[in-house]
Amino acid sequence: MIETKKLIKIYNPGKFEVKAVNDVSTVFAEGEFTAVVGPSGSGKTTFLNCVGGLDTPSSGDVIISDEKITKFSGAEIIKYRLNNIGFVFQAYNLIPVLSAKENIEMIMLLQGANEKSRKTRTDELLNQVGLYEMRNRRPSQLSGGQQQRVAVARALASKPKFILADEPTANLDTSSTSNLLNIMNKLNENEKITFIFSTHDQRVIDRARRVVTLEDGKIVNDIKK
Amino acid sequence: MIFKIAWRNIYRNKKRSLITITSVFAALFLIILMRALQFGFYDKLIETVVESYAGYVEIHADGFWDNQSLDNSMQVDQQLLDDIQSVEGVENIVQRLQTFSLISVGEKTKGGVINGINLSEEQKITDWNKKMVSGSFDLSDNEIIIAKGIAEFFGISENDTLILYGQGYRGMMAAGKYPIKGVIDLKNPDLNKIGLFMTMESVRNYVSSDEISTHIIIGKEKYYDEDKIVENLGLILSDDYEVMTWKETLPEIEQTITADSAGGLIMAFILYVIVVFGMFGTVLMMTEERKYEFGVLISIGMSRIRLFGIILVETIILSMAGVLLAIIVTYPICIYYNINPIDMAILMGDGAEQMMEEMGFSPVAPMSTSWDIPLSHSLVIFIFSLLISIYPAIKISKLNPVKSMKV
Repeated sequence: MIETKKLIKIYNPGKFEVKAVNDVSTVFAEGEFTAVVGPSGSGKTTFLNCVGGLDTPSSGDVIISDEKITKFSGAEIIKYRLNNIGFVFQAYNLIPVLSAKENIEMIMLLQGANEKSRKTRTDELLNQVGLYEMRNRRPSQLSGGQQQRVAVARALASKPKFILADEPTANLDTSSTSNLLNIMNKLNENEKITFIFSTHDQRVIDRARRVVTLEDGKIVNDIKK
Repeated sequence: MIFKIAWRNIYRNKKRSLITITSVFAALFLIILMRALQFGFYDKLIETVVESYAGYVEIHADGFWDNQSLDNSMQVDQQLLDDIQSVEGVENIVQRLQTFSLISVGEKTKGGVINGINLSEEQKITDWNKKMVSGSFDLSDNEIIIAKGIAEFFGISENDTLILYGQGYRGMMAAGKYPIKGVIDLKNPDLNKIGLFMTMESVRNYVSSDEISTHIIIGKEKYYDEDKIVENLGLILSDDYEVMTWKETLPEIEQTITADSAGGLIMAFILYVIVVFGMFGTVLMMTEERKYEFGVLISIGMSRIRLFGIILVETIILSMAGVLLAIIVTYPICIYYNINPIDMAILMGDGAEQMMEEMGFSPVAPMSTSWDIPLSHSLVIFIFSLLISIYPAIKISKLNPVKSMKV
């Protein structure tokens, strides 16, 4: 379970301060498939960054499975992210010099997994996202949709408790989006992985079972389907 | 994985990597050749001076150097010689008995230094046999070889006779009349004014002692550090002996080399500055243009230390590739010019060649093949690589993944 308590993130504190996240308190239960929506500048990405420990909130807390991650040191939060949180970015953000297989394997290598378990898990994930045949291709040799599927596999490599996806379909065409959402939906249903998306994409919103709407950094609507 | 990412990043920007490697290579190529020529010349200078009279290392009775009297001589047994010979780096050893004496021919007198030597052993250390002007370097008992300056002073030559008069061992009188077997040009104006050579036995008879020596001269293996030999000798010799290197017995040679070497170091420093700025430019660009990627790596869980490790490995690979290339290219050149030394007339003109020959130096400069030169300069480049990596280390330690991914 992820809980945010009175989460506030202020940019440029002082004269020209911007409250990107303004007193957000909410709970994401395990196994949720949630879309965080809202217009540009509503604070979706900042909220997700604070939840994932990428950004430090100005005040308030983020509690994941009874651990207050907002109190972690820099090194602790990196380690926590590695073992507990998967990220999928709008721009895929794969390491350009590594192949699809190596991008996925790298996460497990950072975790200290042995070669055999790394190989087994990588092959399993590549099969799940339907890219086993393309495992040796570098990101530049894959389409946008394929890169995003590798990014999802990479996010899953560490067997995280939940995955945060920041506009994952923004750069994808309809068929790639549909393909990606099918994979994520399947993972959510079969492996009970919690997904939280920030998105504008109606196709994602349609598939989500919960939609949290942010405006000016505040939750203005929270619908469970 | 760190090595793999680093290597592929180097390969990703081939042109820039090539330029960086080339700049390291070019600078080190010049530094190694310049220093090899310099040190080769110094080695030749030391070899000429040291091997023409002194040794790389000398052993005397304690206190002899400050008070060069026969009363401060030593008795050398075979055990001592075997112990010295067993020290690492020692190639040859020879004993000498050296004493001051008055030389007299007719109405004229002058001071001189008699060297009692073992003829066959001495030729392993010095090249006196090649410096004979007249006669041969083949002494029998009670014969003497005199230096060129003495012959000129007295107007004497081979088959003439001179009288020596001085102090013997422990207050004894020393005097003798000796036929001249030959004249030697020691290629050193000062030594030519005083040098006299007799067999060890003849000098011992002259000073009235059967056993004493004043010097044990040590010839070392090429490029073996004489200071290391002194250190090792210190472990086996008692306090009754003093051990000195040529740097102490001929300090003016070391001062000349130190002064000249400083010029080479300044040149090397200028080349280092060029290399360091070239490498720093690469690392700076590498760090700035990959901030986004660094942000991604940190956000997916790579620790900042590992990330720094990637940059460090990249910097070291780039610099060491240049270093390795420079060593591979320069070493055969050094070996070639060591075997076929550079003619100094080409570098400095014919006048220099003649002047050097008169001073007893061979007018050729062989390049040094000592590994100390490429290895010490490679170490400097390696240290610079580490220092340059401080910049990305600071950048990575302060990197905010969210901000860097907004770039």
